[in-house]
Amino acid sequence: MKTVLKLAASAALCLGAFARPALAEDNIVKIGVVAAESGSFVSAGHTLPAGVGLAVKQINDAGGFKVGGKTYKLEMVKRDDRTDIATAIAATQELVRDVKVQAIFGSETHDFTLAMAKITQPAKIIHFAGNSTLAKILTPDSVKPGGEDHYLFQSEPQEFQRSGSTARGVLTLLEPLLGFKPKKSVMIVGNDATGQFLSSYYFKALKAEGQDVPDIIFYPPDTTDFSPFLTRAKSLNPDIIHFWYNGDSTLTALPQALELGAAKSYFLFGVDPGIWKEKQLSADVPVAMSCVPVCWGESSNPKAKTYFDAYFAAGAPHGVTSSVSLLYHDYVHFLVEAWQKADSFDPDKTVEALLSLHHQGVVSDDLTFNPTHQVTHATEVCAAAPGGDISCSMQQPPAEAPKS
Amino acid sequence: MQQVSIAVDIFIQQILNGLSIASVITLIAIGVTLIFGLTGIINFAHGEFLMIGGIVTWLAVSAGLGFALAVVLAILAVGLMGYVLERGLFRFTLERPTNGFIVSLGLIVVLQHVVVLFWNPNQKSIPRPLTTVWEVGGVRIASVRVMVILITIAVVALSFRMITASRYGRALRASVEDRDTAALMGIPVRRYITGVFVLGSALAGLGGALLIALFPITPFTGGTMVMKGFAVALIGGLGNIYGAVAAGLILGIVEGFSAGYGFSQWTDAYSFVLMILVLIVRPHGLFGGTSGPRMAS
Repeated sequence: MKTVLKLAASAALCLGAFARPALAEDNIVKIGVVAAESGSFVSAGHTLPAGVGLAVKQINDAGGFKVGGKTYKLEMVKRDDRTDIATAIAATQELVRDVKVQAIFGSETHDFTLAMAKITQPAKIIHFAGNSTLAKILTPDSVKPGGEDHYLFQSEPQEFQRSGSTARGVLTLLEPLLGFKPKKSVMIVGNDATGQFLSSYYFKALKAEGQDVPDIIFYPPDTTDFSPFLTRAKSLNPDIIHFWYNGDSTLTALPQALELGAAKSYFLFGVDPGIWKEKQLSADVPVAMSCVPVCWGESSNPKAKTYFDAYFAAGAPHGVTSSVSLLYHDYVHFLVEAWQKADSFDPDKTVEALLSLHHQGVVSDDLTFNPTHQVTHATEVCAAAPGGDISCSMQQPPAEAPKS
Repeated sequence: MQQVSIAVDIFIQQILNGLSIASVITLIAIGVTLIFGLTGIINFAHGEFLMIGGIVTWLAVSAGLGFALAVVLAILAVGLMGYVLERGLFRFTLERPTNGFIVSLGLIVVLQHVVVLFWNPNQKSIPRPLTTVWEVGGVRIASVRVMVILITIAVVALSFRMITASRYGRALRASVEDRDTAALMGIPVRRYITGVFVLGSALAGLGGALLIALFPITPFTGGTMVMKGFAVALIGGLGNIYGAVAAGLILGIVEGFSAGYGFSQWTDAYSFVLMILVLIVRPHGLFGGTSGPRMAS
């Protein structure tokens, strides 16, 4: 009988150990990151763990944070989704069920995020995604308590806002450099789910700014030879060719466009002026660039330099889209502030706190989530003159989506 | 009249665009087709051989060497890699080419991750070795693209010459035709297999060097290129070097025109639809191919 009791006690202890919440262990709170650290989206993907990792280090170096009278430190657990949706789903399942993270950051890809949310939301895991494209699922019904996306937050402005501020900024900065008001634009867009989705908004934004857009030229993902697409664009005699939206593809396409003399000016979405300078790029025509959300190579945002100095000092490479890290970095601090305000890790209380806070971040001094869990802030646009001078400005988003 | 002139300029520009990328694809396809013809191995890692050629070129140019020397290094390095892999891996799969195919799939992942481990996954590019752009009428001709086309023509011509007119070429063709009989006739088939592997790899190395002269590459570039290389090899007829060259040209032009005049997002699909149609109508390719080496079971 004694043996049976001992066995039962041991089994109970073992089960108890397995059932223990992750944050009880040495006061460590685990947060997960799912991002493309390899594959075609690596350029944006590797900025996620870099941005989150920097925030984790900053918080831990400052002594951690207090919740319920206890001091906690953060631990980042990252997983490479290899730009593969099945891998992203498996990684999310592992982080939620086995690692037992308190929050998840990622992915940089819209449809990956949708798949991940199917796992994070039923498990009541706070989930931040730097996608501008979640408006269709983040509705008043879905985010209300008990709704299917109550714990999901969009840490990038809505696409009509980002497209609107970007289009306005591009046209405003290019006009003086061109010496005339640009009227005709052609868009060259990667033909994947994100490209198709984003281009429809940017097309409307350009039309709202009075542009004639005779063609949107889609290219297959992983294209390296853009010359046939650019030649097609050239046949339309555009004032501006807008490369939308993969920064790596854009950098591949631009030299080919310049060789072909495809347009009078160009816009490179998601290419930082820092890369422009580092790669010693030059053009005989004006070239506009935009960053998501703030540029590191040249910026009109006073906090950007300090942030990016720390970001690169932590070992992150200078990338085309290093600024994407800011769509995650600020929200680790935001989340910790919410836990402190709620004085609890309870996911429902955390959501309440997130919705009530005004957070001072790098991107903006007043980061807030609207009732459908979406953030709003400006986008930075820069332009390089043919001589090489670069000027930048923060462009505020339009208040409303353009009427189609 | 001016509209017609512009349309003609654009048409010629699209042909020139197609020829330069067709050159790189042809270099891959020749390697693929030679290796298959002699060994029966479908080496899907051939695209990674090309990628390694690009990486070696990038490393050499980054170290301050000239582009011409970097190209030579890429050819030698990838040729050597082909030798080591054939001796160390593929020769054990010659009797069961399916195993060679599986090995090549594993090699894709290994080679990609070795490059990522040492040189990160970001894009790599080199300054254009030639920067002049000629404008003829309304057509812009980049000298670097002309260089790629001319080098490919020279290499293909040399390969033709070697295969059709030399003693070694005749022995090689005999080995492709019937490996066992060729061996009975005193041809050192095993050595030819190694030689073809090295030659095919060296051509991929050259393709990689030329590719990075045109466009940036990543550790994952090989996957896209090898699919097109295989499409070309299949359209031309697996094992048929003439077919590979002709199909490379066809594919390059089809891609250029489909991007320029058709539904641009389907550019890759047109190539593979063409491949499927050819395989249905002519299972051995447009110019006839082999079903792999003939040998006693």
